[in-house]
Amino acid sequence: MFKKLIQESMGKSPWLFHINAGSCNGCDIELVSVLTPRYDAERLGFKLAGSPRHADIVVVTGPVTKQSLPRVLRAISQVPEPRCIVTMGSCPQSGNVFRGSYSVAGPLSKYVHVDVDVAGCAPKPEAVIDGLALATQILKEKRGQMK
Amino acid sequence: MDLPFVKEALHQLFSKSSCAMYPVVPSEAAPNYRGRIVYHPDRCLGCGMCERVCSGNAITRTVEHLPDDQGDKITLTFNLGSCTFCATCADFCSSHSIEFTGDYHMVATKEEDLLVSGSFIKAPRKKPAAPAAPAKAEACAAAEPAAEAPKPREDGKPVNDPAKCVYCTLCARKCPAGALTVDRAAKTWTLDEDKCVACGTCAEACPKNCIIM
Repeated sequence: MFKKLIQESMGKSPWLFHINAGSCNGCDIELVSVLTPRYDAERLGFKLAGSPRHADIVVVTGPVTKQSLPRVLRAISQVPEPRCIVTMGSCPQSGNVFRGSYSVAGPLSKYVHVDVDVAGCAPKPEAVIDGLALATQILKEKRGQMK
Repeated sequence: MDLPFVKEALHQLFSKSSCAMYPVVPSEAAPNYRGRIVYHPDRCLGCGMCERVCSGNAITRTVEHLPDDQGDKITLTFNLGSCTFCATCADFCSSHSIEFTGDYHMVATKEEDLLVSGSFIKAPRKKPAAPAAPAKAEACAAAEPAAEAPKPREDGKPVNDPAKCVYCTLCARKCPAGALTVDRAAKTWTLDEDKCVACGTCAEACPKNCIIM
């Protein structure tokens, strides 16, 4: 009975882990504004976790530079299954204006399975909330499959 | 007893929340917000200027030759997952076929969902041998000082006025299709009609307003 209760409550409060993979800081600021009182994603249960081991959803910003790639993959591998990877902004999806640079190893989908793409440069906080809501649904499906 | 901030605390307790309550209260984007791209292929000329100025390589243009001389099928694909939404493509588009809307809901689980695509069929160029020759002769006659001011052509392609032209080569440098050849020394202005898409970029770039569309 308790197990079911825990499963239910985990679905209601997915914790986020934010990875900056060489971002210009535009998307990072938008993600912070999502969590602060104006848009307040915390009222929907989203909470920024300090450790990848506590997280359910990984939000990646930035074009995944060569320096950050091993760290990104290490941090993502520490997130327990089921996990959901959300790319925020154009950079992790394609490299954007940094595409073809000697120091960019992206896009992220070359290395890990990406569940949700939020496009925009930078995305509006409303779009980020939409993306996180979609990620929560995907997380619920993944949890159902694991049982 | 003095209780500091009690008045402020009570005021905050009963005042309206500063939260935007987004999913419950729908939110409109600000005016002139640059969101999802809408492409109007019916207005497009296919000059390829947007592809050239795009900093994120988000625009791809493919030209497919249709059989039986039906013309070319030109497809433009905008990858919103690679776009910086700088609107340089829309600024450079002489036919206003790229539009940035206020739709910011660009959330996808597949990369294909973030592609905006459109295609149109460009009719083949008519091949009348006779009218093409006088047009070239007109271009060659540009160097002659006695030539009268030219009239605009019916097919919308540019005509140069040799009386005003200073042969600065700006039009040739701005031409997205590479259809213009200007020789400063020889004072010639030549138009390659096969390459020209009649976009009007040369006329806009001309400092002397000597190109007539």
